[in-house]
Amino acid sequence: MDPPQTKASTPAIATPATNGAGAGAPAPPPSSTSTQTTPAGTTPPARALQRQRPAPKPRDKFYFQSLGPSATFNVKQARVLMVGAGGIGCELLKNLVLTGFGEIEVVDLDTIDLSNLNRQFLFRHEHIKKSKALVAKEAAQAFNPQVNIVAHHANIKDSQFNVRWFRGFTLVFNALDNLEARRHVNWMCLAADVPLIESGTTGFNGNVQVIKKGVTACYDCTEKPVPKSFPVCTIRSTPSQPIHCIVWGKSYLLSEVFGASEDEAAYDHSEDADNAAEIVELKKEAAALREIRESLGTGAFPQLLFDKVFNADIVRLASMEDVWKSRKKPQPLDYRTLLERSSSALASKEQILRDDQRCWSLEENLVVFIDSLDRLSKRMLELKKAHQGASGPEPVIEFDKDDVDTLDFVAAAANIRSAVFGIEPKSRFDIKEMAGNIIPAIATTNAIVASLSVLQAFKVLRGEFQQTKELFLAPSNLNRLIGYTRYSLPNPDCPVCSVYQTSVFVDLSKATLNDLVDDFVRLQLGYGDKEFAVSNELGPLYDPEETENLPKKLSELGIKGDTYLTVIDEDDEDPFVNVVINIEEATDLVEDKPIKAVAADQKPQIPRRPKKVQPVAVVANGTAPQLNGKRRLEPDAAEPSTKRRRSASEAEEPQAKKAKTAPSGRDDVIVIDDDETGQGVVVLDD
Amino acid sequence: MTEVITQTPPILTGAPSDKERKYDRQLRLWAASGQAALESSHILLVNSGTGTVGIETLKNLVLPGIGKFTIADDAIVRDSDLGVNFFLDEDGLGKSRAQHCTELLVELNPEVQGDWFPKNGEPLSLPDVLGNEGPYTAVLYALPVHPRCELLLQEYCNQNKTPLIAVHSTGFYADFKITFPGPFPVVETHPDVTATTDLRLLSPWDELIDFARGMTKDIDSLDNHEHGHLPFVVILLHYLDVWKATHNSAYPSTYAEKVAFRKMVSEAARTDNPEGGEENFDEAVAAVLKTVSPPSLPGDVKEVFAYEHDSPIRSSFWIIADAVKEFYEKHGCLPLPGGLPDMKAQSSVYIQLQNIYKRKARRDAAEVFESVRRASGGDAIDPAEVDLFCKNAAFVKLINPKNNDPERLLEVADEELANDEMAKEGIMPPSLFPIYLALRATAYTPSVETSFPEDILKDMMTLVPQLGDQEPYAHERYEQAAQEVIRGASGELHNVSAVMGGMVAQEMIKIITKQYIPINNTCIFDGIGSRCQVLRL
Ligand SMILES: [Zn+2]
Repeated sequence: MDPPQTKASTPAIATPATNGAGAGAPAPPPSSTSTQTTPAGTTPPARALQRQRPAPKPRDKFYFQSLGPSATFNVKQARVLMVGAGGIGCELLKNLVLTGFGEIEVVDLDTIDLSNLNRQFLFRHEHIKKSKALVAKEAAQAFNPQVNIVAHHANIKDSQFNVRWFRGFTLVFNALDNLEARRHVNWMCLAADVPLIESGTTGFNGNVQVIKKGVTACYDCTEKPVPKSFPVCTIRSTPSQPIHCIVWGKSYLLSEVFGASEDEAAYDHSEDADNAAEIVELKKEAAALREIRESLGTGAFPQLLFDKVFNADIVRLASMEDVWKSRKKPQPLDYRTLLERSSSALASKEQILRDDQRCWSLEENLVVFIDSLDRLSKRMLELKKAHQGASGPEPVIEFDKDDVDTLDFVAAAANIRSAVFGIEPKSRFDIKEMAGNIIPAIATTNAIVASLSVLQAFKVLRGEFQQTKELFLAPSNLNRLIGYTRYSLPNPDCPVCSVYQTSVFVDLSKATLNDLVDDFVRLQLGYGDKEFAVSNELGPLYDPEETENLPKKLSELGIKGDTYLTVIDEDDEDPFVNVVINIEEATDLVEDKPIKAVAADQKPQIPRRPKKVQPVAVVANGTAPQLNGKRRLEPDAAEPSTKRRRSASEAEEPQAKKAKTAPSGRDDVIVIDDDETGQGVVVLDD
Repeated sequence: MTEVITQTPPILTGAPSDKERKYDRQLRLWAASGQAALESSHILLVNSGTGTVGIETLKNLVLPGIGKFTIADDAIVRDSDLGVNFFLDEDGLGKSRAQHCTELLVELNPEVQGDWFPKNGEPLSLPDVLGNEGPYTAVLYALPVHPRCELLLQEYCNQNKTPLIAVHSTGFYADFKITFPGPFPVVETHPDVTATTDLRLLSPWDELIDFARGMTKDIDSLDNHEHGHLPFVVILLHYLDVWKATHNSAYPSTYAEKVAFRKMVSEAARTDNPEGGEENFDEAVAAVLKTVSPPSLPGDVKEVFAYEHDSPIRSSFWIIADAVKEFYEKHGCLPLPGGLPDMKAQSSVYIQLQNIYKRKARRDAAEVFESVRRASGGDAIDPAEVDLFCKNAAFVKLINPKNNDPERLLEVADEELANDEMAKEGIMPPSLFPIYLALRATAYTPSVETSFPEDILKDMMTLVPQLGDQEPYAHERYEQAAQEVIRGASGELHNVSAVMGGMVAQEMIKIITKQYIPINNTCIFDGIGSRCQVLRL
């Protein structure tokens, strides 16, 4: 049981002949192996060589042994950015520190919540409400003082984290839990041309994907679903399922009473036109509700609110006979009557509030409704008091699934509304999940995904993007547990990465639009005599007919640093793809040119826009990148791709099935690329 | 004397309980019952080698809240341990590794108790740890170990019916093996929700028939709204009646018949309405192939029914399984689970239909419960356990281990060598069996730092003599595996041990909670290719 006591000797270290020499290298073809095999009893040359090398520090011994010196060097030199210090982030930070990464920056906007502690092991009870990024840094830093960790308690979308800042990293890890931030980092990494390792988990499922501009598919190469929304009338007038009442409680009632106003994101307005008259009524209803807010904090408030939303509004709805011809008519509730019936429930209030999994009775829901309303009202009054005299927007209370007061209020209100409409009630536990888009999350899955990310990072650091894989946990495949496919190719129709991105240093006080158009676009990007248009997010700036802006300075045109310009090729024949130029402000540009390409030493190679009809490419060994999106599957991909992708990502939203990237219908062609032999074979799957 | 490290849990207030809030994200996976099982568990880790993979596993068990863990490890913390194990720091240098890890691990979760052995510089006595400190819910040990130590653990687990897990992580390679102490049944397998729909359209009971006929007796005179809100279950029951009337009272059974039936349903949808179609009929059409089929007995359940378990003491699982089998033999179908998927319907109608399914499920479960009661030992069984079994009856799973069959290794070797013949052609991914064998060959070697690849290869060939007959291609893959094990030099790579720590803890949680299906029984991981394979050894 003792650990080995003998000296460190590392045979075969860094010799390319060994399987996996250093950093997860692909195994070479069999013909080149076995150079290490020496007769027993003699010292292999590599071992002798190794003895002459300086010995690693004792604490680095084991990873030095396994990674080899060149990978160890890569790892030590790398500057890595980790976006997100939550479930995956905590694990990742531990792994990075223990793998010997020397410089790590961590960005996370979140603070620590009690519900994080079942998996985010760098955090303790006493850290609740503190910054995730800062606490994670401290915990990991204490472990290894040699590592330089910089933590930012900030939103990754903040302007300080611009393209130039991203460019300073060797590698970026996404350890995020939402689509928006994932998309943002994906975009920034493409703009800065920094490799990104994207990962996510949901329950027992998880995935890892390496994103490298121009080589592998980006995060947005496959369409991601939008969050579910409901027609206004379903939520406000004709609910038929518990979720409708929950959305009403969260996005209408809570928002109108304690928030800025109704949460529009929950609504699907496509049917509004058919219900114009009802929409007008609903707007009046909401206005009347806002008036009641004036009484917030007074003793009369609960009844006023109850009478409004569970009586007056219902009476009005019920009077619309047409609507209820084939639906069950809602029954308005009387506050006083219900309150009288609730006396015993009131007496056991504490017990009810602890009862998470049982469905409360109508009377119990009233008790929770009044109680949570009281808690929220008090909180609101305090917030307002603190705000008095200060500028800025009025304080609001927003729904947070882990904020018990808002959850109780939404749960009780939703259940009371369900009673009004004859819909089954739900337990608070279920309502929390339905209202909060709760994604189950556990330590084990995060541990697996974070360490798989680092294993992919070894390949990224060696520039072996074609050895990377898309990995996904396959908990229902009990023969594999981890499934994979070869990396996917960029989708030529991807709205994000099919554009060509480039950056320029611009002296905004000197440069004119003409400098940009002539010097940069025509000369440096190679547009020459082409016809093209330039625009930014505000509108068109230049096209062949629109030239009066040319002498103006970019600053006069409202162009700032860290904004983007788009160049659209207007040629009919074989045009360039759209080019997005990231403007980086610079004042100390040499020579007389106020505009300079950031990568001036590289000749830009702008791809041509894909033609509408793609010929079916001939699948050949290992030359996939020319195939324009032909998908390569390995035979033990554990589940069909549609199913697999659904299980991916700790996104707020489950991922949609992967869009087909193959431009034609040749689904029957599978390329098997065996990473241990390097031989690719075409298999026709019947 | 037992010295147990615990921390006073912080005073927690509020509702729901802080514990529920802390565990909220996992309660959604294994519910309160799974959590209770975790909280009453006691896990023993017998640590060895460089000691990381076992600690990583424990971390992933402490966080979700096992009751207690005990670490048996006589190693002293050395400098090289610090670079690979997060749960050691410089304060621990020269101290007991077991104690130091325990101290840092319990900090992760104040609700978990931790203990360690040996204490006070005494030598480690594994028989004492096994005999005096248990019982253990599961035992985990890290390889390499002394064979005597392994034997002790095997004997303990065999006698106490305790699952035993061995894990081995070196360099880029790792594996773990679960030894189940006997047949291991799982009731709550958590199948995919879409798989659990059981509507019994071809064996409807009176209440359901009456309800459906009541709604469809004048189906053609229903107004558009009513017609457009018939639940698809009712639509299908109606058209099955229509079908039978013209097909000698037989249900559609062949694929062609089902397609014809689907066409019939599809054509019955109204298209002259403003929407130009009916969503509920679309649902009905989409459900035909999946739901219009007679009840059948899934293979896994057949296995449970067929399993010989005539021992005098039967667990509640087997008593209920027998009762369900009796039910099946009598009715030709399993007890109804009782769930109803979402469907287009008026909410009052949907609730009625839901109740019809729920009532039938309750009646079926009550019948099973009656026969459980009649069985010997059945009077102590909780009706809730019977309900749970009935709800999951179609998805119960029995893991039936054949432990320590020496022939099995050779069988698997033949299979995997045959697999690699195809791998050579690129049809299959190469087997990870070489990695397993290289790890197995060094499972009792405290350090390979003085070994050569040929030594390991020789040991591998002692285990699997067929290797000697292989062509160079296959042979070289085994040679490479031996070399890589040498290169790892019995040291762990933190990342690989972290993957293993996650995977082993995942399987242990399944075993402790008796929820979800654990692997059977050996998992091999290749950190170079990030590949994984499960073999039954
Ligand atoms: Zn893309």
